[in-house]
Amino acid sequence: MKTLIIGLGNPILGDDGVGWVVAEKVQAELINPQSAIENPQSVEVDCASLGGLSLMERLTGSERVILVDAIFTGKQPVGTVSRFLLDELPDLSAGHSASAHDTSLRNALHVGRDMQVPLPDDENVTIVTIEAEAVYDFSQELSPAVAAAVPLALQQVLDLLAC
Amino acid sequence: MQRITIDPITRLEGHGKIEIFLNEEGDVANTYFQIPELRGFERFCVGRPVEEMPLLTNRICGVCPEAHHIAAAKAVDAVYHVDIPSTAKKLRELLYMAFYCTDHTTHFYALGGPDFIMGTDAPVAERNILGVIHKVGLEIGGKVIQMRKYGHNVVEIIGGRKVHPCTSIPGGLTKGITEEQRVEIEKMGRWAIEFAQFSLKVFNDIVLANPQYVDLILGDIYTHQTYYMGLVDANNKVNFYDGKVRVVDPTGKEYVKYEPKDYASHIAEHVEPWTYLKFPYLKNVGWKGLVDGIDSGIYMATPLSRLNASDGMATPLAQAEYEKFYATLKGKPVHQRLAIHWARLVELLYAAEHWVELATDPEITSPNFHTIPTATPTEGVGIVEAPRGTLTHHYWTDERGVVTKVNLIVGTTNNYAPITMSIKKAASSLIKKGNVNEGLLNMVEMAFRAYDPCFGCATHSLPGQMPLQVTIHNAEGEPIQVIKQSVD
Repeated sequence: MKTLIIGLGNPILGDDGVGWVVAEKVQAELINPQSAIENPQSVEVDCASLGGLSLMERLTGSERVILVDAIFTGKQPVGTVSRFLLDELPDLSAGHSASAHDTSLRNALHVGRDMQVPLPDDENVTIVTIEAEAVYDFSQELSPAVAAAVPLALQQVLDLLAC
Repeated sequence: MQRITIDPITRLEGHGKIEIFLNEEGDVANTYFQIPELRGFERFCVGRPVEEMPLLTNRICGVCPEAHHIAAAKAVDAVYHVDIPSTAKKLRELLYMAFYCTDHTTHFYALGGPDFIMGTDAPVAERNILGVIHKVGLEIGGKVIQMRKYGHNVVEIIGGRKVHPCTSIPGGLTKGITEEQRVEIEKMGRWAIEFAQFSLKVFNDIVLANPQYVDLILGDIYTHQTYYMGLVDANNKVNFYDGKVRVVDPTGKEYVKYEPKDYASHIAEHVEPWTYLKFPYLKNVGWKGLVDGIDSGIYMATPLSRLNASDGMATPLAQAEYEKFYATLKGKPVHQRLAIHWARLVELLYAAEHWVELATDPEITSPNFHTIPTATPTEGVGIVEAPRGTLTHHYWTDERGVVTKVNLIVGTTNNYAPITMSIKKAASSLIKKGNVNEGLLNMVEMAFRAYDPCFGCATHSLPGQMPLQVTIHNAEGEPIQVIKQSVD
């Protein structure tokens, strides 16, 4: 299956950039000749600071999508790695699948499908999240617990690819 | 009434937090709207080469990177005291017009429009872009996607990347465009003009033809008499890219017109202890509190403000719409905040027309898109009109061009006071004698959605789903009721 992996977030906003860091690690795995990833040619990796309609537009033509992003629920220890299908996301305001200026990713996908834009089904959109701490301060560093979660998030993505 | 201290440290992550205080009669005495602001950008930039700023400020928030990129590019040119070639200015402005078309379209159809098109009484589940598409017709969604695609394409051709441009450097741009690209851009621009006219027709047929909506627009609940700010060209016509900042008073009379570099002589920022965001106001009028009127230094910066602050639009079709706008709303300036949605569509048409004007300008394919700066860098200001309001970037550097200080006033910051006042007015009309009307959250959302506010990545404003918590306090300051949506 053609799989698109996107690290979401803002790389200069501290923990909010963790999605990009994980995506870069996935990219390194892809080009590693010793990598365990089967069919690396069917996998594409990207980094984006997008939400809503713009994010939907980026997903055009993919059969399966894995998004990696920071989440801020305040209810689990910082650094907790989880995985959700799009519909299972605990709160629409968490993470960056919504955008302040257009609409949620879910709505955007519905709009796109209505318009015959080729998009993955909702059950083929998985989001790997890392509970973050500092997402309000500008910095290019991750907080320690979030940095420690990067290998775990990477493993989640690799496990998904192996399915 | 008791004095209450609201500790701004206890911010709600990702939510708009509103505190309402009632007096003894159970009516609204005061409201406070707190913003958890993104912090430390100025600190983060110190020590960076100033030419990085157009790339860094792209990332302040993912929503209007183009506006920040252009404002930053202008500020960097000012720091280097360089006047960039005419072709470079026109290319940047062309990119900017395409961005405006994308941005205004998205706001109207996905965000603000649903309030009208679906109706304020429509169930929350329908008051979004899906509802709009089902009501107006499937083709509208396709057009919205098309407009966005064309806008992103132009930004990519001139700016190097679809959403986050990267081609502005001190002295101009890193590349120009070919004739082939110019033809493509012109074609997309002509489509955009038709789409803008179509959108104005949608507004006319669905909103203006409906007396209930017209009453809502003209109603007092969303009306404030403040000063209005916008960039204007040499003829006092609206310009998003360049010009002087013009401010008119609540009667429409010009109050001041200044060069971007002089902004600090006219704008000051007032601090309140209960919120992170400061309130800009007109220094020479003075801060009189969160009140309307000619003696209060509060001003608004939005599409409506730009139309109010100008003498018209610089392109013919948009000018005709401008005249219809003021004739329908019975005079100028227009103070009703919901009219911002209509003003946004007039601007959409101007942006599309100007897009084609620039795309057919003989200089636009010239290879003269960069000049090497030679002066020692010191300090510079760049101002543009972001879709949300006047955007100011001010940088100071050492003699090597390394940033020593940054000051930014972003679009929505200009409007923090007007937004707060709009919320108070909405709350006051819906809370009487301690009885809170069900529609409160709805009306409060509509009040500030009209401003298309940009509170960074902290708020996610899907109509009906914006995370909002309103806490109502009695006259003793004790919380007596909490109303929430999309908050756990």
